[in-house]
Amino acid sequence: MAEREPIVRFEHISMQFPGVLANDDVSLEIYPGEVFALVGENGAGKSTLMNVLYGLNQPTSGAIHVKGKKVEKQSPSQAIAMGVGMVHQHFKLVGSFTVAQNIALCCEPKKKLGLYDFRAANDTVRHLSEEFGLEIDPTAQVNSLSVGLQQRVEILKTLHRGADVLILDEPTAVLTPQETDELFRVIRGIVRDKGMTVIIITHKLYEVMAISDRVGVMRAGKLVGLKNTSEVNERMLASMMVGREMLHAQLEKTGDTGDERIRVENLQVLSDRMLPAVQGVSLNVRAGEILGVAAIEGNGQSELIEAITGMRPVRGGEVFIDGKSVAGKTPGEIRKLGLAHIPEDRLRTGVSPAASVEDNLLAGKQRTKEFSAAGMHLKRRAVHEYARKLFSQFDIRGAGVGTAAGSLSGGNMQKVVLAREFSLGADILIISQPTRGVDIGAIEFIHKSIVEKRNAGCAILLVSADLDEVFRLSDRIITLYEGKITGHFRAGEIEKADIGYYMTGARTGSEEASR
Amino acid sequence: MREFLSVFSIGLFQNTLRTATPVVLAALGVLMTDHVGIMNIGMDGMMLCGAFFAVLGSCYLGGWLGGLVLALAVGLLLGAFFGLFVVKFKSDEYIIGVALNIFAGGLTVFLLRTIFGVAGAYSGTDALPIFGLPKINIPLIENIPILSDLLSGNTLLVYVSWILVALSYVLIYKTPLGFWLRAAGEHPESLRAAGKSPEKMKYLASILCGLFSGLAGAHLSLGYLTMFTENMSASRGFIAVACVIFGASNPPRVFLAALLFGFIDALGLRVQSFNVSSNLTSLAPYLVTVIMMVWVVWRGERKKKRLAR
Amino acid sequence: MKKALRELFSFKRGPKINGGYLLSLAISILLALLVGALIMAASGHDPIAGYSAMLTGALSSKRAIGDTLAKSATLCLTGLATAVAAQAGIFNVGGEGQLYFGAMASALLGAALTGAPAVLAVPLCLLAAMLAGGLWALIPAWLKVKLKVNEVITTIMMNSIAIYFCAYLSNGPLKTTERGIASGTAKIDTSFAFSRVINLSNLTTSIFLSVAIALMVWYLMKKSVTGYEMKLTGENERFAHYMGIPSAKLMLLGMVISGAICGLVGMFEVFGLHKRFIDSVSNEFYYDGMLVAMIMRYEPTGIILMSLFFGILKIGGTGMEKIGIPSETILIVQSIIIFFMAAERGISASVREKRVRRNARIKADAAKGGSEHA
Repeated sequence: MAEREPIVRFEHISMQFPGVLANDDVSLEIYPGEVFALVGENGAGKSTLMNVLYGLNQPTSGAIHVKGKKVEKQSPSQAIAMGVGMVHQHFKLVGSFTVAQNIALCCEPKKKLGLYDFRAANDTVRHLSEEFGLEIDPTAQVNSLSVGLQQRVEILKTLHRGADVLILDEPTAVLTPQETDELFRVIRGIVRDKGMTVIIITHKLYEVMAISDRVGVMRAGKLVGLKNTSEVNERMLASMMVGREMLHAQLEKTGDTGDERIRVENLQVLSDRMLPAVQGVSLNVRAGEILGVAAIEGNGQSELIEAITGMRPVRGGEVFIDGKSVAGKTPGEIRKLGLAHIPEDRLRTGVSPAASVEDNLLAGKQRTKEFSAAGMHLKRRAVHEYARKLFSQFDIRGAGVGTAAGSLSGGNMQKVVLAREFSLGADILIISQPTRGVDIGAIEFIHKSIVEKRNAGCAILLVSADLDEVFRLSDRIITLYEGKITGHFRAGEIEKADIGYYMTGARTGSEEASR
Repeated sequence: MREFLSVFSIGLFQNTLRTATPVVLAALGVLMTDHVGIMNIGMDGMMLCGAFFAVLGSCYLGGWLGGLVLALAVGLLLGAFFGLFVVKFKSDEYIIGVALNIFAGGLTVFLLRTIFGVAGAYSGTDALPIFGLPKINIPLIENIPILSDLLSGNTLLVYVSWILVALSYVLIYKTPLGFWLRAAGEHPESLRAAGKSPEKMKYLASILCGLFSGLAGAHLSLGYLTMFTENMSASRGFIAVACVIFGASNPPRVFLAALLFGFIDALGLRVQSFNVSSNLTSLAPYLVTVIMMVWVVWRGERKKKRLAR
Repeated sequence: MKKALRELFSFKRGPKINGGYLLSLAISILLALLVGALIMAASGHDPIAGYSAMLTGALSSKRAIGDTLAKSATLCLTGLATAVAAQAGIFNVGGEGQLYFGAMASALLGAALTGAPAVLAVPLCLLAAMLAGGLWALIPAWLKVKLKVNEVITTIMMNSIAIYFCAYLSNGPLKTTERGIASGTAKIDTSFAFSRVINLSNLTTSIFLSVAIALMVWYLMKKSVTGYEMKLTGENERFAHYMGIPSAKLMLLGMVISGAICGLVGMFEVFGLHKRFIDSVSNEFYYDGMLVAMIMRYEPTGIILMSLFFGILKIGGTGMEKIGIPSETILIVQSIIIFFMAAERGISASVREKRVRRNARIKADAAKGGSEHA
């Protein structure tokens, strides 16, 4: 295979975003006619690398060669001209246009007087869809299509522009199993019949095994593994993916578990797209324990947390905090039941970026006697003292409590959230992605703080895409796949390398038996 | 009762057309920016400038054509200026809109006083007359009794506005450029990924909007009336925004919405002869606008809720 | 998407007032004054004479100073009205209408209570003005919170509705029966009126109320728990909701307070100057104040100070009239300040972005160079 001329060559690509080195000296060759899978955890730099190839990101250093030619000025139109097409995770489709109008966008066929030739556009799309065996109605409005069909429109769009290298960014994340099978059939078809090259970004390992010829594994911006798919198995890939250096010492866990604080019964929640996201989840968390939820992004964990904390309505089932149902309660009312919440999305929900660190730390306590007189006057001096205290106690690094929270680095911003939520006096903690985008030093600090809370008798529900974190902190672990619980373990009952199967839904019921 | 019915005379519909036209032209401009995702509440000020410079051009550049050209040129400039701030500097479009309105109010009165040496209004003098837009008689229709009153003998820009409604419709829904404009508003990244700059589309729409504002202003001061008065746009720019919302940015529907407002306006003028206060009739269009906005949004919400189920 | 982008750049999240901001504000004001000078020069007037006429017009006599202070008070209150709503995340463009209703309600009550003791009647009139303005503001606020109807357009429309409706009342059913008055409602009991502080000037005892209100609003916005909660709501509504802050209620509250202040401004005009409601009770006073608030980024302290400066500009405009320069020059200068500020913000944002990118590149190169050496 190495004999052949590569169709795409990455040479020492580095990509520096403010505060994050997303790609760190990546070199990689892709060969014509292969299906190449790029796997890695969230934030490992897979999408960044592909965006560089598609010209959406300008690499900080390094070069890209396509079909033997060096790409001089990266831009999407340049990439299209060189035959590179990309289907993004978030589709770039205009919802009110028809299928044909989307596919023909910016290369519309024209009639006399410069008018849009709709018939020609429809015919072209019809031919294209027949040629590649991708059935679609050119006149259907994109808004009315299922996600699977919208993705098909995206693929046709790239084919229409003459792409022979097709990048698919997490194409199956939003698809049903049937749609995924259909997509794989399509991929095999265009590779076999049209000699196309397909690069597929994913973190579902069984998909890698099912579709790819070769696989590259990325971790923390680096390419850490490059294998023929036939030479690896899921277990090996999983250990490469999560194999970051073990975080320092074991954390000391003390104390006994107490009463049940959180109880979730047969919970049903809808996603933003009004599709079922949580489908009949039941769980409980006791005082003095951490229940970890291990799941890959988009499997209902976000909706689960939002339903428990009142940020999203409950569709069916019940959530009880200390035996009291949260149905119909606002986040504020649920907080009064003794619950604190570290949300997954710091910038949008966890802080007010424009407000000062001090104001962010105060939130939730502004009406306590400590900080307000008669519920009217804000005792600024006390607030300031309090903020300064938390600032040093939680080791927040920045230009002081007066700076805007949005100007802090990810780790320090997360510490602000942590400091606030941990100081509310709540003993039920809902913690989501506590260390996403946070540097190693801060991770250690955050982990210690969480375990301290546990040892002090708090009931903690932890959601994380980082398996190290889940294993390190949890007393019990459940895995969530497509909104359902697929596994339930005590700490020590299962190895990190094995849990990936549950998280990707691979080993449920009969499939497990057949293995 | 019969007396009341006499309100609905041919004159009412003539007036409807007359009062609707400036709103139609302004609304077409607002519609362009709305398609690229910009809400232009500065239309009122842009229109006011158009009205003033049309008079200026008409007086000094030899007739109505000069007025029209100058109004269009100023409109183009203002559109580009608006685009510069909203697209390039990413300023809040409401703030720029408000500032533009205040600026236009100040500038036109300042120039009115400096150039024409009058305060309040200028309706031309013997030495320096304002040349209004020509009235156009349409050969065949001219001789048909009722139709001639309605469709013939209107000023130039009335007909131009009808043509522009049709042309705008074709531009937006029947040409590739229209699709690029709409893509820039609805999903700019899709356009960028396809290789066109959404920012350029936004500039283009802002400039088109400016040109329309010039026409709207010119019609106001050279067609609807033949004079310039302080603040003569009288919130028509805002009503145009409401028409665009009500007509879902679709030119023919926006045109109908503007006609509806024209009708209410004209009706107000008519019923004044029945001792109904002019102040009450003047507030009707604004009241209708608020009610319609609420209705449009409420209907949209209900539709969304239905979909969720 | 469109929405998200707009929110990102919306007025609510503008950078705070700091040294850099004040510097660019100073430069903007100077440049705008320069443009004003050019306009004067181009129209055949001497700019220096123009600006000195402005200063003498605003400050040269007791009476002028009185007028300037009265104007500043109006600007300050209307500016704070804009700011208090903006703090909770609502853009109130409808203060003019709220002002009219406040003026109308208080004028009617002031006439109806004729003969009553002033200590009783005046507070009632104040209350009536606040209620009328506040309730009129509540409508668009409620529509925004409940139905997400854009408050900018509704408030603009409701200005016209209020102005025409009040004109209808004062020329129709509620027109005074007094002879020789062309339009206007019945006269209030003169014992309720604010007396003049400086003879012949527009400065009345309402200035003391204005100062008190300004201080109260400043306190609310900067020092109170409610103000803090409003600020969080305006900055990031989702965060406020997540922290258990009743954001919808605070938005309604912010708007009602804003409307109540505007209503009071209307009342001050009636009880200070006209003694009855007249059509021309306000001449776009609210927009002038809104401009001040926008320039000062809705910061109450800044608005209070800046309204003094703008008061000088406004009253100075009348001084310029005396030597034949149209006072609209001032309007132009004011709007140009906003344009300059908006441009400055856009330009400095793009410069910042470029700098971040460049630094990142340098860092990456350095890191790479380092690793190559190792």
